[in-house]
Amino acid sequence: MPDSGAQTKTDYQKLVARFKKEYPDAELTVQVFTRNVLWKKIFMLKYPTAQETIPDVVQIPHYWTALLTRAGVAENLSQLDPGLSLVPFLPSLKTHCYKPGTKDIYSLPWWFDISALHYRADHLRMVSEDPEKDLSTWDGLLDICERLKKQFEKVEGYYPMQNSDWRGSLSTRSSFMEIWGRGADLLTPDLRQTQIASAAFKQGVQDYITLALKEYMPILRERGSLGTMMTGKASMLMSRKQGISSFAGRKAAPVRTVPVPRTGKSSIAYLSGMNLMMNVSGKDKETALKFIKWCARSDNQFIHASTIEAFPALEESFNKFISSSKRLEIYSGILASARTLPNITITGTVVEILNKVLAMSATEIVEGRFTQAGLDRELDKAAKEVEYLLSLYEG
Amino acid sequence: MFDKQSYTIFKFGKKIEQSVRSKRELLDSALPALRELFKLDRVYFFDWQQERALLSLKMMCKREYCMDMQEDISVLGEPEFLKELLRDGIADSTDLNYPAVYVLLKWTRPTMIMEGEEVKNILKTRLGVLRLERFRKYRVFTEKEKKLIKGVAAEISHNLTHTEREQNNQQRLNIATALNDLATVFASSLRLSDGLEFILQGVQKSFRFDRVRLYQTSHDGNKIKSVLGVDISGQVTTQTEDDLPEDERTLLRDVFDSGAAYRVIHNVVYIPLKVQRNKVGFLTFDNLLSRRRIDYLDFVSLKQFSNQIALAIDNAELFERVQELSNYDELTKLPVRRFFAEKFAEEMDRSKRFDLIMSLIILDIDLFKQINDNYGHQIGDWALRQVSQVLLTSLRQTDFPCRYGGDEMVIMLPRTNDEECKIVAQRLKDRINKIAIPSRYTEGKTVTLSISQGIASFPQDGQTPQELFHKADQALYWVKDGRRGTFAVYREVAEDLPKEK
Repeated sequence: MPDSGAQTKTDYQKLVARFKKEYPDAELTVQVFTRNVLWKKIFMLKYPTAQETIPDVVQIPHYWTALLTRAGVAENLSQLDPGLSLVPFLPSLKTHCYKPGTKDIYSLPWWFDISALHYRADHLRMVSEDPEKDLSTWDGLLDICERLKKQFEKVEGYYPMQNSDWRGSLSTRSSFMEIWGRGADLLTPDLRQTQIASAAFKQGVQDYITLALKEYMPILRERGSLGTMMTGKASMLMSRKQGISSFAGRKAAPVRTVPVPRTGKSSIAYLSGMNLMMNVSGKDKETALKFIKWCARSDNQFIHASTIEAFPALEESFNKFISSSKRLEIYSGILASARTLPNITITGTVVEILNKVLAMSATEIVEGRFTQAGLDRELDKAAKEVEYLLSLYEG
Repeated sequence: MFDKQSYTIFKFGKKIEQSVRSKRELLDSALPALRELFKLDRVYFFDWQQERALLSLKMMCKREYCMDMQEDISVLGEPEFLKELLRDGIADSTDLNYPAVYVLLKWTRPTMIMEGEEVKNILKTRLGVLRLERFRKYRVFTEKEKKLIKGVAAEISHNLTHTEREQNNQQRLNIATALNDLATVFASSLRLSDGLEFILQGVQKSFRFDRVRLYQTSHDGNKIKSVLGVDISGQVTTQTEDDLPEDERTLLRDVFDSGAAYRVIHNVVYIPLKVQRNKVGFLTFDNLLSRRRIDYLDFVSLKQFSNQIALAIDNAELFERVQELSNYDELTKLPVRRFFAEKFAEEMDRSKRFDLIMSLIILDIDLFKQINDNYGHQIGDWALRQVSQVLLTSLRQTDFPCRYGGDEMVIMLPRTNDEECKIVAQRLKDRINKIAIPSRYTEGKTVTLSISQGIASFPQDGQTPQELFHKADQALYWVKDGRRGTFAVYREVAEDLPKEK
């Protein structure tokens, strides 16, 4: 499982305990890795050494499905269980379960999250008469950040925006909303060319980076040492977690949720899906399939999504989930405008390439030697690499 | 005699799992022991990337468990703190509002560098930092504790050096074993192309590259003859120069012209294959999709192994050239095509001059590709030898068989008409039908060989060797179209054949 926060391990231990209650004979252990470590390990699954542990089930970002199918790592679930169906899942999650160009299911939706902007209503009231209106555009957001910075200049360690990136750096996934808003995308609609070198793409990245450049959001600072929105050391957080358990019931720190500010005509949220995949070389495929199907059950999806502050992937559970809290109702509209990354072989690699570009920019910003021209050059280079990958790996 | 501190460190050392295989496993064992010894609430381990002034958080350990972490923290703005940490090996936290100390870990890791063609083993110094935290009861770290923490950190550093060395040795042993296995496969392979396929698949499996490719070039290195590759799914692919994008053709020139023995670009390694002055081709290994860095040890090992591959390709090409010059095929002992062509032309001239008749049989083994695919090339070779043996023992002294190519064989039968030729064809059919593939290869099933034959005769079917050959080949085509295992004379089936333009 990739790490989804400090509680990941305990959350999954709870999940396993519930599964074992129903299947006492099943032997199940969980290993948690960071996404970066998992990315490296996933390529080792095909030819494991004697010392390596071979997992039966792996939780993967849903756009890895095509890659793992192509690499011969993911098991064809339709073949193991011809009755397996994607009908009950949310429509936007279905394409990421198939081997591209087929209707064979290679992974099953487990949970997902969508980006939104959470803000401290009490803080925003100090600088804006109509926060929701001001926060509807990117320029409005930057303006609010500036006003908040001044408002809280005496608060040590304060930043208007809390950094939600799990590395505490610049996040490729957080930049997609701005890129999409500008009218660009990773690839052209036919998925044959990249738009990374386009002016709109670069503008979208620049929008996001401005948060760090203008010191509205901390980067490369230890998150543990920084304050959070809940401790009053930040006023906003762009996160894919719905945060219901963290934000609810904190009267002193009232949090509201709105769609991410738009850089173009409308707000586009980033949807990040997590699927469960079975390893071709796994030893106990029977239990693995039982576990995957158990996780796809409405009640289990609901409980787990609540625990990790995400959303259930089943349509019925999702609808029930968002109607369970007033705060979550807004996600119905956010989901309708959400986009995700395409399920093709090279998507994961492209994200890795962009992560590297943004990591370099983060270091340059901290060292005070960042230039937009330098970033544009790196994006041009990245575009060439992606074009080459597209020529090697179609679909 | 141990003093109390030394004894504590000694006990700590004993407590750490001794049979760890990696740095991660060592930390997974050392961090909980450290937490327990100093009654800590949390311990962090950071890799210190000095060149980027970053502390990269890798692991966190608290009461319940340890887990991998990833977080980069810039320490650019902390020069005094870093100076203190480097000088004293320990420093108090300057940014946390509860008791926390940072302690330096310093160890060495064996690594290799290449200077020209020479490989040198060196030890690289690595730095790491532990952060020990007590945030629950705010118990500050006493000077005595700090002294002990430094001692324990030295013990962990010592263990890290040992673990990295062991890990490196194990990695070298794995590589040596893998390369030895590959060399054994190569040495025992009868055909070059099979051997190369095995090698490339083996290299991909052992080193876990995304793709492995072998570009075979002309001796001057200017032309790519073929590209054999294994892709991320383990499938073998073959390409010719025409299939390659322009970029890759330019690459070829770059690799040879660079004058360097190797090139490492991003996640790709190119190794030119040369035998003395002859350019044989080049090998490329890439992790373009996974973006994993290609380990230098892997690269150096493959560089050394590539010399064997270059030599084997060069030898095989030499062998093929020698074979071309020989009159008899090494495997089947039948005359080769060139030798047959000379004899066939001579016999045709003689037949024309003296008004003689002659016939020609073209045959091939039914479903030969499936035999190769199902039972391996060794059985394929065995089948070829068995069929050629039947030919050599069933024909008359004056008949002249040849291995035309692959599983295709041709027999020239001087002074033989259609009807006599059919008797010979029937005899060959009957004898070959009795040959069964050894049951140990077929899981006990009886699998016998069969051949399809096409017959044409001079002068009725053609006036030149090419014409006669073409007609016999057409008859064979007719047989293979749903009548495998039989034979046909061209004139008898000509009506059924598709009209030629």
